[in-house]
Amino acid sequence: MRAVYGIVVREFVRFLRQRGRVLSSVGRPFVWLIFAGAGFAAVFAGRSEIDYHVYMAPGLLGMVVMFGSLLAALSTVIDRDAGVLRMMLVAPIRRGTVALGKTLGASLVGTVQAIVVAAILLPVVGLAPTPAGALLALAAIVLTSLALGALGVVLAAGMRSIENFAGVMNFVVFPMLFLSGALYPVRHLGPVLHVLAHVNPLAYGVDLLKHALLARWSDTGYGGELPISLDCAALVLYALAGLAAAGALLAREGGVARAAFRERR
Amino acid sequence: MTAAAIDVRGLGKDFGAVRALDRLDLEVRDAEFFGFLGPNGAGKTTTVHLLATLLTPSRGSARVAGHDVVRDGLAVRRSIGLVFQDTTLDRDLTVEENLRFAARLWNLPAHRAAPRIDALLRQFGLDERRRDPVRALSGGMRRAADIARGILHEPRILFLDEPTAGLDPRARRSLWELIRGLRASSGLTVFLTTHYVEEAEPCDRVAVMDRGRLAALGTPAELKRAAGVGSLEEVFLARTGRELAETGAG
Repeated sequence: MRAVYGIVVREFVRFLRQRGRVLSSVGRPFVWLIFAGAGFAAVFAGRSEIDYHVYMAPGLLGMVVMFGSLLAALSTVIDRDAGVLRMMLVAPIRRGTVALGKTLGASLVGTVQAIVVAAILLPVVGLAPTPAGALLALAAIVLTSLALGALGVVLAAGMRSIENFAGVMNFVVFPMLFLSGALYPVRHLGPVLHVLAHVNPLAYGVDLLKHALLARWSDTGYGGELPISLDCAALVLYALAGLAAAGALLAREGGVARAAFRERR
Repeated sequence: MTAAAIDVRGLGKDFGAVRALDRLDLEVRDAEFFGFLGPNGAGKTTTVHLLATLLTPSRGSARVAGHDVVRDGLAVRRSIGLVFQDTTLDRDLTVEENLRFAARLWNLPAHRAAPRIDALLRQFGLDERRRDPVRALSGGMRRAADIARGILHEPRILFLDEPTAGLDPRARRSLWELIRGLRASSGLTVFLTTHYVEEAEPCDRVAVMDRGRLAALGTPAELKRAAGVGSLEEVFLARTGRELAETGAG
């Protein structure tokens, strides 16, 4: 599909053109590594099985994927306010194609960010994955990017304005991060939060990344906890359900489409 | 007689309790320059959005370039170009990147899109600015780039929804030059909505809209003769009992 390709290319060119966005997306996990890492390492102190900074690495990659793809997908709201979404909606393509293009574009942005960060982060914390581990990590990054990219397009399609962005950060992004197992194992959480962790797509992505990168520590309980096949299936399901929902939401007459064509005076 | 470019039968649209468009019957001929004149809130933009398949009609039907707007939306969108009052270009991309993006959305292969983009950029005087981001362009140049985007896929029908809003007089003049040239060279059907009477004067035929209804339809000369007045401004006054400028235009 040429239209999907066009939307993906535009998304990526925009990302590369925003220097600040590139730098902050690559720098963010290292800020977390240094500051959150120092705090949690102190709490973890006394447990000799794993260095906390090593434990944190898969979670930080998951975080990069989340910020990368989710925020890129949320740019659909900015597209609407800037009028660019109208160009996509008046084109002779289905709404589902727009949703697919935005999702794939956002996933590519998230994936590339995560690969760049991984290339720096893994040597810094002293993690050398096996070839099979590296391959599984790449698959985890791609699948998580797709699931969160689709989720981001769904959120964007349901958002009235970019002012709701803070709400998304507070009620979606941060809970998702803290319930993902990125910073501490979720199995120690109470029953309610534990259930929430299981509807969190990022939790499956982080678990898969732990399978890929922390396999050596799986006996001590720091590796992936869920079956790899379950992680993969959950992420694929989220991506597909998200795409279907995003296409349907974009096709609603009263939704983003209507807002995109509202006369602004 | 050639087939109608646009054929509208009893078309209407409600937004909740608001009747934005009542029941419109209209035929726009092939290669016609058709003016759709009325104040804001007359139903002009609603009509354009219905014809462009961006809204679903509440009643009636319409065929655009021979395709039904409800059943065959993709075919309709393939046959038309749309230029809005506000730009649809990505300000962060260059003029050329925007046109390439549009070419992909309209499924034009690169080997066909590239020469077409070159030709349009030259025709619209944008050749030297092709590598500049759209944000660096003047309002007039941006609108020209928008129109280039609108006709990139060589549509049969071009909708211009208040295309001169926000442009200075010089940019307006060059925009009309551009549209005149396009019509002369390609036999394009142009459907223009405007609330400026002087912009409707050069049209082949003008529909005068008021509060979601068709108040008058004919060539500018016919309309003036029928109302016994000397200007379209007075036609609007005679047909609606109100002045165009007083109804919230602008």
